[in-house]
Amino acid sequence: MTFSAPEENTLGVVVGNARRAVGKTARRLGRASAHRASLGTAFLGLGAAILVGLRAVYGVSWFIGLWGRGVYSQPLAALSAWIVLGAVIVGAIVTTRVIGDRLPDWIFGLFLTGLLVAVALDVIAVWDLHDIGRDATAALAAGMTLLIVVTVRGSSELLIAAGVLGVGLAVVIFFDTPPSDQITADWIAPQITAVASAVLPAVIGVAIVESFRRMVQVELDRVLVQSTVSAPRYAVGMLASEELARLDLAAEELLESIASKKTPLPLAPKMASIAASLATELRLHLIEGRRETWLYHAVSESEMLGKAVTLVDKSSLAGLLDPIQRDGLLAAAWLLVGDTITSNASRTVTVQVGPVAPGETPVPEHKILIPITITTTGVARNRVDPSIWDALGRVGHYSDHTQDSSLRVDIECLVDNPADV
Amino acid sequence: MDLITKERDRLLQRTARVYGLSFTVVALLCFVLPGAVSMTALFISLPLFVVVGIAQFRMGISRSPAWLAVALIAGLAIVVVACTVGARPSQAGFTAVVELAAASLAAVGLVLTSSAARIAALIIVFLIVGATLLLLTSDLQAPLRTAGIYVLGWVLPVLIAIWISAGVPQVAKRIASIGRAHRAERQASEIEAQRRQGARLLHDTVLATLTLLAHSGVGVTPDALRQQAGDDAKLLRQLRLGTGPTPSAAGGGAAEGAVGTETSPVPIIEEPVLGTTLESVKQRFGRMGLQVSWHGTGQVLLPSDILDAFLLALAECLENVRRHSGVTEAHVTITEDSKMVRAMVTDSGVGFEITDIDEAKLGFTESVVARLRDVGGNARLFSAPGSGTTVVLEVPRGDATTEGGA
Repeated sequence: MTFSAPEENTLGVVVGNARRAVGKTARRLGRASAHRASLGTAFLGLGAAILVGLRAVYGVSWFIGLWGRGVYSQPLAALSAWIVLGAVIVGAIVTTRVIGDRLPDWIFGLFLTGLLVAVALDVIAVWDLHDIGRDATAALAAGMTLLIVVTVRGSSELLIAAGVLGVGLAVVIFFDTPPSDQITADWIAPQITAVASAVLPAVIGVAIVESFRRMVQVELDRVLVQSTVSAPRYAVGMLASEELARLDLAAEELLESIASKKTPLPLAPKMASIAASLATELRLHLIEGRRETWLYHAVSESEMLGKAVTLVDKSSLAGLLDPIQRDGLLAAAWLLVGDTITSNASRTVTVQVGPVAPGETPVPEHKILIPITITTTGVARNRVDPSIWDALGRVGHYSDHTQDSSLRVDIECLVDNPADV
Repeated sequence: MDLITKERDRLLQRTARVYGLSFTVVALLCFVLPGAVSMTALFISLPLFVVVGIAQFRMGISRSPAWLAVALIAGLAIVVVACTVGARPSQAGFTAVVELAAASLAAVGLVLTSSAARIAALIIVFLIVGATLLLLTSDLQAPLRTAGIYVLGWVLPVLIAIWISAGVPQVAKRIASIGRAHRAERQASEIEAQRRQGARLLHDTVLATLTLLAHSGVGVTPDALRQQAGDDAKLLRQLRLGTGPTPSAAGGGAAEGAVGTETSPVPIIEEPVLGTTLESVKQRFGRMGLQVSWHGTGQVLLPSDILDAFLLALAECLENVRRHSGVTEAHVTITEDSKMVRAMVTDSGVGFEITDIDEAKLGFTESVVARLRDVGGNARLFSAPGSGTTVVLEVPRGDATTEGGA
């Protein structure tokens, strides 16, 4: 075995070594997020496909009605518009069901081209009637057809497509105006609703899917962090063992290459400094890894909590909380920062655990009382989700006040005395 | 206390906001077309449109039914005003009214499906708005057709809400299973880290060797250093390859969550090479040119975590002697009483100024004192320039520890 220098040096992050691990987690999640974002959206996509199907049936019935009355000057163009649109709809539904995750660019391009052709044919068919808003059928249904791919393409792409369609229809309507005496409010109103009916479904669909993805992301974040509730009193956090294993391996390779005389002794200065940094890193990982509690890992690993929560726990007392108390505390923190993404980013939460002041309050035997103080900014007492009180009740006896017009909670948390365990 | 239900409600609220506002804008555009409604009706209705818009915007944030009520009442007022004040609305005005009643106001259907009370409220507002619309516009379009559009407009958001609500439990289930997998992963990672950290003696000798190498192996013969490196590499290899089956008996402490520095999970690796006696430490230093003389108890019986910390601290002190004292002999005196085991490490070397310790021996507090305190022990240091150094290490005998050792 030959020694190769470790690809990364952890010395630069002596203090924030957990932060780096977190960064790594985030990166790892980021890689997976493209996949995870699709979690559960297949079901939404199915609903969207059904809606599009119904809309197409409705459009076809209109088309047949118009055809029967013989209003089309170019009936074949209208017919082919519907044939193209039908093919696009069926093809897109089948493709999205089969592919499931993300539509390749060229298929999406084909899809958009198909829609464009259908719109163009339908516009040609009703051009001479000078009332696209009332007479167009396939062109308007084409807008809703975008919903089929709402879960498998990026939101901005769909919004752009819908926007282009809306502007395109508006331009076509503008150039296809009837003689000026017929341009009245009663002619304009159907044009407006027609454009809206082509554009709005895609916009609303994108909004729903975006919110849904965000919900999944938040829930995922919460569930992943929830696993810290069952962590031991001191935990090393995710990836710490990976880091340690990496250092162990690097050390092993270095020592092995020395033992097998591949690396000559005395060591070259560069090798010596590598050995020194390896030793320092290893020492830090061995000594400091154990000093953090579940709460620290929960806050630093969570995207949402990490942004808003500051943890002050000098004596690592949070580690003494039992799983039910931890769950309550985590849920309370979660409820306090819950709206951060949506409403105001100025919310901050500071959780201070300890210090223990012995003898102030009588406590049962084999227990100690840990004071936990939650101070917040930007959280009005009456705006807090009511279920937070239930969550706090699980942590311990609490009292809430308003400090600087924001919520402050003091909890007296009874835990098993570690000296008696 | 179901957080995903809250998230679902939030999702529906946001959807209702986009849905309602979009159609309000469309209705407003048709409404302000010249001749759509009478001027008086237009001027009365414009502020009402603003109210509807604000209420629908608030619907996206607040779960309070008040905003729904505000939006509905203002919307209904627009319908009434448009149809009754001044001249009858034209077809454009009618279109605007239908857009408002059948699409914009129908957005409340998205947030009124989550409980029985809300569904009841939904049915009531559906009937009120529908009846108002049909009564006031019966002369503008065949009531049956208006009713059809109206019902369609209200059924659509309700169906969307039901569909989304049906999708949420599915996704929640999958997220929960991801969470379970993650918890298992965290536990495995934790146990693995503990296994590696638990191998403290191993890491101690590795660290000592690495430190030697960092000084280019000065003061030690290359052969001795090579042999030491080979031994350490072998140990690390064993540690690495032993990754798979962690003996559950040894790892049990972690599973129960009662973790301090529990029983070393890798006794098989450590025992034969290092032994758990002081002898191995002595041999190692002997090889590196420091003669260690032992006095007192030769064999110490301690719980393994305490022994680990004790030997480690001892080795760290001897390493300091070897590197800094300038002498090649050190004395270790082991004493024990009913509560404590003490080791006194003395050398007759150069000594140093205690107050310099922060800068000079950063490793001391970290590696010696911290680890001894971990197991309820302590370390004290006595030295002066020119008169050698004495370190007293003490650890509890096990029963009186504050943590670990089940």
